[in-house]
Amino acid sequence: MAASTAEKVQEVREVTRIERIGAHSHIRGLGLDDALEARQTSQGMVGQQDARKAAGIILEMIKDGKIAGRAVMLAGQPGTGKTAIAMGMAQALGSDTPFTSIAGSEIFSLEMSKTEALTQSFRKSIGVRIKEETEIIEGEVVEIQIDRPATGTGAKVGKLTLKTTEMETIYDLGQKMIESLTKEKVQAGDIVTIDKATGKITKLGRSFTRARDYDAMGPQTKFVQCPEGELQKRKEVVHTVTLHEIDVINSRTQGFLALFSGDTGEIKSEVREQINSKVAEWREEGKAEIVPGVLFIDEVHMLDIECFSFLNRALESDMAPILIMATNRGITRIRGTQYLSPHGVPIDLLDRLLIVSTSPYEEKEVKQILRIRCEEEDVEMSDDALTVLTKIGMDASLRYSIQLITAAHLVCRKRKGTEVEVDDIKRVYSLFLDESRSTQFLKEYQQEFMFSEVQDQMETS
Amino acid sequence: MEEKGAAPIDSQQLLEHLAQVEDVAEEILTDKQKLIDLNHHWNQTREAMRVLQKDKSDNKQWVCMGNMFIKMEKKSTSRLIEKDFDQTAQEIAKTRTELKPKLSHIRDLEHKEGIKGFHLQPLSKTEIAAINELI
Repeated sequence: MAASTAEKVQEVREVTRIERIGAHSHIRGLGLDDALEARQTSQGMVGQQDARKAAGIILEMIKDGKIAGRAVMLAGQPGTGKTAIAMGMAQALGSDTPFTSIAGSEIFSLEMSKTEALTQSFRKSIGVRIKEETEIIEGEVVEIQIDRPATGTGAKVGKLTLKTTEMETIYDLGQKMIESLTKEKVQAGDIVTIDKATGKITKLGRSFTRARDYDAMGPQTKFVQCPEGELQKRKEVVHTVTLHEIDVINSRTQGFLALFSGDTGEIKSEVREQINSKVAEWREEGKAEIVPGVLFIDEVHMLDIECFSFLNRALESDMAPILIMATNRGITRIRGTQYLSPHGVPIDLLDRLLIVSTSPYEEKEVKQILRIRCEEEDVEMSDDALTVLTKIGMDASLRYSIQLITAAHLVCRKRKGTEVEVDDIKRVYSLFLDESRSTQFLKEYQQEFMFSEVQDQMETS
Repeated sequence: MEEKGAAPIDSQQLLEHLAQVEDVAEEILTDKQKLIDLNHHWNQTREAMRVLQKDKSDNKQWVCMGNMFIKMEKKSTSRLIEKDFDQTAQEIAKTRTELKPKLSHIRDLEHKEGIKGFHLQPLSKTEIAAINELI
């Protein structure tokens, strides 16, 4: 009973979450128990227990606010669940925590400098929680009475009777209120709220008790219950907005429509500074709370040396979100330089990172993942077919076998089957090449393709 | 029942805990009812003030006190009512602020997570107007 009261007092707006990849739609969390031990299969996660355990510890640190100025790197071969872990962390953080996911190459654009794009995604990942408090009068209109002066001109006077299930009262109306009531076409039987500060009237709908008043009614007529409790209520709403959203609003040339068109352009650093100081002021006064979110940069080796040095600096700021990066590269050239470095990331940045590595899945785990994906994609598959698919997954790649699920399902539907059989898998396996077979094919028939480099090399040598 | 594996909870402890929860819940419900009653009273005094303000004829009016009608001076009546009005408003504000810690307390007892942003100060009118464009 009391809990429901609490929910009435507060509403928390959800921050829209962008899910970049459908391939990980089955991930619901990290699949850890209360002691942060990873369960073998839980919340869509399979295997990778060490990496998940590490991610869970990082998550606890994030929740305690103890990980500012550092970042996490997920390193591992392709198809070992790096993105899945990042998604799991985002899910486990809850709906209120901003989570931004970008790919390393997203920041290269003609419209925006690289650092601007990075700054924007940084600020998209920091939430500001604020509270709005309004005094409202909420009730069902019992009677509304407006007296026109006999002379025709002059101030009108009127009375408004409002009730809730518990009480009823009469308000005397002034000129302004009468005008807005007439404008809103408020009549007896309507449920209205009046904002005490602004005098704004909102019609919520018509009372259920008046549902039989007329036979013919407009299609948009909404029936609501007569409000309970007191007439004067205090309503508190908590919003979480991101710093980037506030930036966009305050960036004069853009206006708030820019948020919807998606093209925000560059935001002046003065605007950002102003907003930072305003938010800091709110924090001092206890009016706002900073919610550090998570910025996930996939394929981080695609960033160049300028971006890395920017990241180094940006992580120092006290408003920095938690940065999670993922890469599948080994020792390789840092983009924009001639130097080799592990993961293609400069050593000084690597030094700040907590590195979590993922290892290739085992056969049992691959089978489990494929089973989960079948469920997620509403595909029924026989055990034999699943075993064959697992074999393919081990030989070729996990991604390839996951892609085969839907393809095989379509083939199965074509022959009007209900369950995917081994033959369906065989058929799609012959139709679609995996990476290694494709390479092999190319090696064999290289000469017949255009611009074949192998051939050129042969000619020059 | 064996599968639960946990040690049997001390029934005395459980009872105490439940009693504690019920206690706080009861307090909250009482407060809520009190708010309604106060608001009812407040609205009545507001109506009375309005009536007195409009009435320009007689100098004395009938005032009902308890179950007795007394004829009183207009001035002193309105002073009395206004005082009552202010007091009720204060009482409402007080009850509302007291309700909040109780709510957090009961959520704590029930092992539920606290409501996010519950303790925040509200933004001022102008600040909200600026933010509202966003929301």
